[in-house]
Amino acid sequence: MARTLTLATAVTWLVWATSISAQAPASSAASAAAAAPKRDLTGVWMIRNPAGMRGYAGATFTKEEPEMTPWAIAKYKEAKNTNGGQYDLETTNDPVVTKCYPPGTPRVYFHPYPFEFIQTPKYVFMIYEYDHVIRRIYTDGRPLPPDPDLTWMGTSIGRWENDTTFVVDTVGFNEKTWIDRLGHPHSTEMHVTERFRRTDRDHLQIDFIITDPKALVKPWTSTFYAELRPQWELGEISCSGDYLEFKAFEK
Amino acid sequence: MKLFGRTLAILAISAAALFTASGLALAHHGAAAFDTDKMVTVKGAVTELVYMNPHVQVHWETKNEQGVLEKWQGELTAPNKLTRAGWNKNTLKPGDQITVSGNPNKNNPHTLWIRKLVGPEGNSLPLFED
Repeated sequence: MARTLTLATAVTWLVWATSISAQAPASSAASAAAAAPKRDLTGVWMIRNPAGMRGYAGATFTKEEPEMTPWAIAKYKEAKNTNGGQYDLETTNDPVVTKCYPPGTPRVYFHPYPFEFIQTPKYVFMIYEYDHVIRRIYTDGRPLPPDPDLTWMGTSIGRWENDTTFVVDTVGFNEKTWIDRLGHPHSTEMHVTERFRRTDRDHLQIDFIITDPKALVKPWTSTFYAELRPQWELGEISCSGDYLEFKAFEK
Repeated sequence: MKLFGRTLAILAISAAALFTASGLALAHHGAAAFDTDKMVTVKGAVTELVYMNPHVQVHWETKNEQGVLEKWQGELTAPNKLTRAGWNKNTLKPGDQITVSGNPNKNNPHTLWIRKLVGPEGNSLPLFED
């Protein structure tokens, strides 16, 4: 297929380019990566974590359990996730799977679909392919609201820490979502910090800091990795239209 | 292994499983519904390509060893991902000869989680985005 051919061509070029650069003493593998543009995350990105994270990163942030409060431990015991095969579509209580609730921040990163940054002068949009989720991240200098209304994805502000690092703080969540696919709970006091560091043109490092005095004894931190996909476009996914009706395939 | 026309070839699967309600609806929440220790290879003719979320479905018919037509179905990844791999809703058309390899559903052995699909032109089609 055309895409395969393009990929094959790219690989051929890469092999050729690598062999050329290997002959040039001034070149190194690091300098081959194009530099990140300044204060710009525009484009389509896909989470591509290193192999060592694959055992857990499709469902949660860390291999080890976060340190939870008794309140959170009790709620976590009620969660019936669909990851281990113990609970299926009929028995799970995953709010996304059973009701098509919006996934919430930061659970949205556990849906294996790309996301896109669109930058405007006053805010940055994050569009996630999964279920048309949109986050509006204000960059006009406003502070976080002290007593925010409670929403699924939260209220976000963002600032450039330096030319390649965009830091987003999000508060104001309802309690209907899970932090991850395993069902770790959060309260309305959750505060999510995402530190998007564009290490070069094609790579993004996302540091997560999740605090919640009601649910977490100490901040839950993790780092995910994403890659730029210049050829990709986001498609359409509708949870209520597509997922809830998938049983039709049983016929 | 030789495959003749639409002859069904089954590798490492017990033949006498019953048809029950398929558990395929669970598949997009994990692979638990499928027996990943078993791989089945089937040759047949496409009857329908359902290009929809959350997972694309392929339906085909295969003649079994008694010459009786059997209905089979299989599941691929999401259409958005297949589109990025070069597919569209017309990539497979009714009548196209395909060879499908996949893991059988635990409740319905004629439902596969497709791991390899050789298309009508004899080439293995890409099943994942990069």
